[in-house]
Amino acid sequence: MTANGHPIISISSVTKRFPGVTALADVALEVRAGELHAICGENGAGKSTLMKILSGVITDYEGELLLAGRAVRFKGTRDAEAAGISIIHQELNLVEQLSAAANIFLGREIRGWLMLRDDRAMEHAASRLLKELECDIHPWQIAATLRIGDQQLIEIAKALSLQSDILIMDEPTSALTEAEVSRLYRVIERLRKRGVTILYISHKMDEIFHLADRITVLRDGRLVKTLDRAGTTPNEVTHLMVGREIESIDFGGERRAGEVLLRVEHLSLPWPGHARGWRLKDVSFELRRGEVLGIAGLMGAGRTELLECLFGAAAEPPQGRIELLGRSVAFRHPREARAAGIGLVTEDRKRLGLFAAMNVGENISICTLRETGAGGFINRTREWQMAAETVQRLAVKTSGLAAPITSLSGGNQQKCIIGRWLQTDPQVLLLDDPTRGVDVGAKAELYRLIDGLVKRGIGVIMTSSELPELLTVCDRILVLSEGRLTASFSRAEATEHKIMEAATLGVKKAG
Amino acid sequence: MSAPDRSSPLLARFNELALIVAIVIVVAITAALDSNHSYLTQPLTSFRDIARNVALLGIFAVGSAVVIIAGGIDLSSGSVIAFSGTVCATTMLILSPQPTTDVGNVGAVVATCGVAAALLSGFLVGTLHAWLITAVRLPPFIATLATLVGLRSFARALCGYITARKVHGSGNTEINVYADYFTFVREHVWIYGTVCLALAALTWLLLSRTVLGRHIYALGGNEQAARLSGIRTDSVKWFAYCFSAMTAAIAGIFYVADQSVASPVTQGVGYELNAIAAAVVGGCSLQGGIGTLPGIILGVIFLRVVIDSVAKLIKSGSDIYEGMIVGIVVVIAVTFSQLRQNRGSSQQLFPGLLGSIAIPTLASLIGLIVAMTIANVPYLKGSDAWIGLGVAIAVFLLLGAVKVSQLANAK
Repeated sequence: MTANGHPIISISSVTKRFPGVTALADVALEVRAGELHAICGENGAGKSTLMKILSGVITDYEGELLLAGRAVRFKGTRDAEAAGISIIHQELNLVEQLSAAANIFLGREIRGWLMLRDDRAMEHAASRLLKELECDIHPWQIAATLRIGDQQLIEIAKALSLQSDILIMDEPTSALTEAEVSRLYRVIERLRKRGVTILYISHKMDEIFHLADRITVLRDGRLVKTLDRAGTTPNEVTHLMVGREIESIDFGGERRAGEVLLRVEHLSLPWPGHARGWRLKDVSFELRRGEVLGIAGLMGAGRTELLECLFGAAAEPPQGRIELLGRSVAFRHPREARAAGIGLVTEDRKRLGLFAAMNVGENISICTLRETGAGGFINRTREWQMAAETVQRLAVKTSGLAAPITSLSGGNQQKCIIGRWLQTDPQVLLLDDPTRGVDVGAKAELYRLIDGLVKRGIGVIMTSSELPELLTVCDRILVLSEGRLTASFSRAEATEHKIMEAATLGVKKAG
Repeated sequence: MSAPDRSSPLLARFNELALIVAIVIVVAITAALDSNHSYLTQPLTSFRDIARNVALLGIFAVGSAVVIIAGGIDLSSGSVIAFSGTVCATTMLILSPQPTTDVGNVGAVVATCGVAAALLSGFLVGTLHAWLITAVRLPPFIATLATLVGLRSFARALCGYITARKVHGSGNTEINVYADYFTFVREHVWIYGTVCLALAALTWLLLSRTVLGRHIYALGGNEQAARLSGIRTDSVKWFAYCFSAMTAAIAGIFYVADQSVASPVTQGVGYELNAIAAAVVGGCSLQGGIGTLPGIILGVIFLRVVIDSVAKLIKSGSDIYEGMIVGIVVVIAVTFSQLRQNRGSSQQLFPGLLGSIAIPTLASLIGLIVAMTIANVPYLKGSDAWIGLGVAIAVFLLLGAVKVSQLANAK
């Protein structure tokens, strides 16, 4: 509680309407000073909208916002920052070409003699902040060269330098490795000791129950309930989030692996100009019809690069041998891979997958336009039929095929992209971290979808930054470490511990 | 989910409707205020005049727009017009038997060769652009800026070289074209219109009904995602830049016919910006991925109607004011489309010191334009300076009031 006894944040009857949807309906919420308050809900529940209102990104809304008892109305993110609220977005907001220090002090550069920029002072300050966050990067380092976990710490350092007393974290662990997650936990602990109030958006139950004091559940733009952590269980929270029970799923029982679809032998991918020399080195494995093959590894281990090699999308031509159904293949362009029956659902939906200016139907049909008509013309009726079938089959929640793709939740966008590739009738489907930024309910749906696909004879290779996910979905799990294959586990053998050990094998050797 | 009508989001439709209304308003104002009332007294001549100009701009504006939708930019159209016109004329000159530096009456075969050579030159320029952009990896802005500057100079050199060779003397800076076929085109405006309409129809078919067209939107919307969807982005770019250069080449042939001369020094100077402006006014996004053919054509008509209107009202050479009009129209059109997108946001138009300096800048600019304009009006002559000053002060007060009221609202 603050000195005057008011909650530090008090929101009452906040409503936000977007064209066609009510993102928030009459939400009231109180946050106590110094607590870690988790906000959870499925995608589209209104978490992000609420946080955007708090951080001054959205300025036109109905309702009232009180900070420590005082009514405020932000006109922009600067107002919110001045009031002591900082937000760390899920998609980080760094200027990639600038150094860590420059990013931390962006817009509030320290000035020295003659009002000139004082780089040294900023560097010192940045160095101190980063050290406090257990981050051993140099303040001079360019943001683009940093791992995502370190980039996130830069954002946290920025919030610290602003002396924010309210910090909003939007799914901060969605792209972090286990080691980075535990470092983040320690950082959060330290922030709390300083008295920082944290609003923590997540749908990962283990995180929420590890960190939070209180938990608020949103569903369909309404506040369902605010609970004390001590008085609730993960099951109850999940239940409130989804509004229905999620049965725990056990896959793999009735799966039967068939013939070898894809055989990879001694695959290497050069990395010109890098000390290691190789992004991938001597990777061999095979994928059978009807199985899900998981690829585990830390960020930078080469998971994405491996999938890109198989899809003909690698930056350099890979070395080694790739056989698809017994025929040796060397794709030079994703088009050839597509024609041969391989599909790739990319890791970064927004940057590599979606066409934001196009609608749902056009996003689904983009790979199969030639199949709709003849002579290079699109048969729009046929295109729409096919897309409608896909939407129905994958149970995509959309107001229609003509709806903008950006109006869909992350999980439904992902279904559209998977649907795009299913329309090409692939033999092999490559899924690069398919549940990133997707909430619990939608995840389970995606798992079931993948299970259905392999049962119909497709082979799936899937990467994930979350080990429990691989353990749930995959029949076999390969582990990459610094571009090398360090282990291969069957479903029965694999445990989180064994995988982590194999994933850090090369790293230890190198260190 | 029944009606497959989706390439027309509401916003684009709104833009097109707004343009139609704006065109009607401009025509009505011109008809009413023009002291000669030429729209009313000579409707046919006026219509023919505007149609000719709309067709000439429309022919290569669709090309520029296709590149813009594909996420690129083609700055070279004006120079390609001059270059392809020169190629057309020099080809005919080489093939005609008389030892003169003018293209006299040539046969159908020679004329066809000239036209074919011009189109081929357009194809080659487009290919050069695509090569520079996809293989050498130059930014489109740089690649086409280089040809914008380079091709015009190259066309002048070519013109001088060929004419000098032809008469074994000194070269000319332009080639007169008196060929029957070209004169025929000049005298029949419907040919301009037909070619422009045919090209528009073809482009509409391309953009809204073909796989290639959808790939152009995809490329412009998200190049990485397009490549990873199996679209050969390099080929799509090749097509887009060739299409743009070849439409400019067609326009180049028409300009030679229209002016009976191929003049690399004067033809098509600055026209690339008119084409880009028409595309932007018509609703194309310079970020790529957005734009419709009806929008582009309406953008062309709007731009030409405004230019014609100003020429009619001021009664001086329209070319003096053309640049100003294009600049102002682009700024206003894009401002309006952005205001529509960020409706409800409380962004200030004249923030801080920047706004304080922008207000007198705009006021004096508008005052000067008014003064220069009414200097041509007979019964106001003499008082132009005072009226200009008055307008400047009025604009200053008006914009100042906007700033003050926005400040008050913000508080």
